[in-house]
Amino acid sequence: MKCGLPVIFAVIVALGASWIGLVIAPALQLGTLKETTVLNTTDVYPPQRTGAATLGLQAYRANGCAACHTEQVRQDGVTCEVVLTDAGKNPSAVTNLLTALTLTGLTKDQAEAVSGKITAAGGKVETHIVPIGSDLDHGWGVRRSVAEDFLYDNPVQLGGLRAGPDLANIGLRSPDANWHLLHLYAPRSVNTDSKMPSFRYLFTVQKIGAAPSPDALNLPAAFAPPAGFEVVPKPEARQLAAYLLSLRANVPVYDAPFTPPAKP
Amino acid sequence: MTANETSHPTASAPEIDASCRVPLLALLVGAAVWLVLGTALALIASIKFHAPDFLAECPALTYGRVAAAANDALVYGFCLPAALAVSLWIFSRLSQTVFTLPVVPVVAAHLWHLGVFVGLASILLGHSTGFTWLEFPRSASILLLVAFGLIAVSIVATFGFRLERTLHPAHWFLLAALLWFPWSYTSANIFLVAMPVRGVAQAVIDLWFGNNLLWVWFSLAGLGIGFYFISKLTGRALNSYYYALLVFATLILFGTWCGIPVGSPFPAWIPTLGSVAAALLVVPVLGVAAIVARTLCGVSGPIGGPLCYFQFAFSAFILSALMLITLACPQFSRVLEFTWFGQAQVQLQIFGFLAMILFGALYYILPLALGHDFPFPKLTRAHFWLSGIGVVLLVLPLAVGGYLQGTHLYKIEAALPALRVSTLGLFLLLAGNLLFAVNVLAMFLNWKLALAKTIFAAVTAPLKASEVKP
Amino acid sequence: MSDEIKTSPPTPPTAEPGAGRTTTPIWIVLLLLVLLFLGGLYFDEHGGWFSAQVYAPYVSTDEVELYQPKSGAAAALARGKVVYDQVCGICHGPDGLGKPGQAPPLAGSEWVNAKGFDRLAHIPLAGLNGHLTVAGKDWNMSMAAMGAALPDADLAAVLSYIRNSWGNKGSAVTEDDIHKLRATLGAHPQPMSGDQMKTMPE
Repeated sequence: MKCGLPVIFAVIVALGASWIGLVIAPALQLGTLKETTVLNTTDVYPPQRTGAATLGLQAYRANGCAACHTEQVRQDGVTCEVVLTDAGKNPSAVTNLLTALTLTGLTKDQAEAVSGKITAAGGKVETHIVPIGSDLDHGWGVRRSVAEDFLYDNPVQLGGLRAGPDLANIGLRSPDANWHLLHLYAPRSVNTDSKMPSFRYLFTVQKIGAAPSPDALNLPAAFAPPAGFEVVPKPEARQLAAYLLSLRANVPVYDAPFTPPAKP
Repeated sequence: MTANETSHPTASAPEIDASCRVPLLALLVGAAVWLVLGTALALIASIKFHAPDFLAECPALTYGRVAAAANDALVYGFCLPAALAVSLWIFSRLSQTVFTLPVVPVVAAHLWHLGVFVGLASILLGHSTGFTWLEFPRSASILLLVAFGLIAVSIVATFGFRLERTLHPAHWFLLAALLWFPWSYTSANIFLVAMPVRGVAQAVIDLWFGNNLLWVWFSLAGLGIGFYFISKLTGRALNSYYYALLVFATLILFGTWCGIPVGSPFPAWIPTLGSVAAALLVVPVLGVAAIVARTLCGVSGPIGGPLCYFQFAFSAFILSALMLITLACPQFSRVLEFTWFGQAQVQLQIFGFLAMILFGALYYILPLALGHDFPFPKLTRAHFWLSGIGVVLLVLPLAVGGYLQGTHLYKIEAALPALRVSTLGLFLLLAGNLLFAVNVLAMFLNWKLALAKTIFAAVTAPLKASEVKP
Repeated sequence: MSDEIKTSPPTPPTAEPGAGRTTTPIWIVLLLLVLLFLGGLYFDEHGGWFSAQVYAPYVSTDEVELYQPKSGAAAALARGKVVYDQVCGICHGPDGLGKPGQAPPLAGSEWVNAKGFDRLAHIPLAGLNGHLTVAGKDWNMSMAAMGAALPDADLAAVLSYIRNSWGNKGSAVTEDDIHKLRATLGAHPQPMSGDQMKTMPE
């Protein structure tokens, strides 16, 4: 090769292909996504975050929380489960049949076959869709994360390392704002093995005035400030707690279906 | 004589090296400072992992900020400017003319280092953009882009005036790198920072950019420089041209699609394309192994000499590529995704591959450019050992720790012993990089001192009779 | 200059390195072609063909459609609540307690909690006219056939919802049940009173 032009041309073609494929195409396909609905309802998904939670996302970004936490749940597969809803007019026959059949971990075809057998014996069944995966077994979610979960986030903080637990559904696992504030101020007061840094600069240690502040943290003795002082969260800490409480994705959507548990 | 030869006559090697002297120093002094600072910040971050209350009172040093600042200082502060410095020398030598417009890279170097300073300060003060490898705010990004553009233009100008018209494989790799960084950096910043796209597309573009910087750009720059030097140092031709062509073509065709974790919340086509592209990376990896094995077959240099840096770096490249391919396999990613294994691959790419390539190159180039050897030549050998052992102690425990983390349900306790060893590795790397900085800064000060002496001598020289007005 | 490290061997200006053209790597090109083929197969199987709705572990839009849960119990109850709020709750109250002089309570009603649901389903399908005793109280109102215009699935859902809310414990009503009931009742069933309904099977 004697001329630089073929090199430049090859570079433009090869690198341009990935630019179109992984920048332009997702920007067009995913960047124009609209809200979806929760399966079998008319509820819009995702719900808008509150103002405090939206500011909390900026606190999450500013403190680099995504360096240790991910917000994405993975799923390895999907199975069907056949559940008896009505034993019908001949319950003993149906019960005998049930002992001989496998009812969980089925593919859709297998589930159809099993349902057919039970219905023929007079029982009524429902087929439940059950996602499976190691993240789900861990209790980090009931389904995988999909694009709609992040529709209103700017910037999207998916994270890349799980030094700490995944936070996609932390609003469900820890729905108490006070727990989050305690955890941010002194992580080792709620979890002795935690390696999370303390975010004390998000709080003010102030002298107790005429009466203790209602916002003061209730810290164990080892982490409490000196006598006569109290720890009060700054607005940024509250916003971050609000953001963490808003992290939940436990409703089925078209892209990640599952049968939600019946309301009690 | 061609038109080129009349305007740019063939220069001798010392003349070429001398013409590169000031641009090299402008880029490298800052780069050496950022290298030491970046490694120190990385060490702080690494310590915080098993001692979270270390420096916990300082908001600027909270783990999330200091880890991002460390990575950016190493990549944008050291790797990019040092690679550009080596590239401009290589282009000048291969063109067999003096460097065109040396003032342009000098101005650009100052803009670049200012941009890095502004960017790092912003991260530590909490104004990061939130995107991995793109944490610098708009002001810093624009400075970096302008500076890179200026240097690229001056290098391409030198390339345009070349006398030897046949291209060396290093030309392809380095020209591709000069074009690809501005394109991908501008694109990513526009779609993420200037006019953000909606929703999860941001994460796709961020991952695309991270891969294109850490994997594609580092490989293009590192392999280009490496292929030049292994034949330069051994006096043999690169073996062979067609292997290099295959490596170049497959790297830019497939390497640019990798980097998307398999479990990401994107439609299936995106991670699947990433996995397929990563599998296809086997071809350029084998190509690089073949080239290095064939070219260096039977050659040995002094232990700790420049050739050792390149041998280490190529081995690190092959291992890093294999780690990248492993991460993209769905069976392995189930365990290794979101663990320190991925971080290990990134650190190997930075410290084990590109940094070693750059050290080897700079230890060869700088004495030529400044006309005298390093003030502390023994330190270059010590640096090799500290870096080599440091990289092994950093990367291997992180990789093992990542595997343990993944098989123990992401419990950090499983990986803690490994993390402690990796901190030791970083400490050794910091020591080694300090030695490098000492040598570079000492050379710079010697040069400045010599310049000052020349000016002083000229100013205080006794007046000649012809200079006195009657 | 130290002679330990030879950092700068003397080089004449024309001795820049070149690349030899000795070996042509056929084997690696063949490997590339094989990998490309296998990669294409893998993408065909797992890539979902660029659809925005196909996420791993699903591999095609058909499979995603196949695994959509048909109205399960919870989904039916949710749908039932929506229908109730729009159609029944206006008179029977959002809490099923009814309104005196307007509509009898559904919470705790023996008609709702009966083992079979044929009599209950008859009310929205055909309407009520005449006396009806609910929880010991006598009601003498008429109700239009509010469920006659509802689709089978919605009527089944709202009846299931009523039979499972506010302390009521009754079995769910499925779409098929309503479909069969409509068939037996014919096109224009007549509204009945409580006593007339007692003659029907439960």
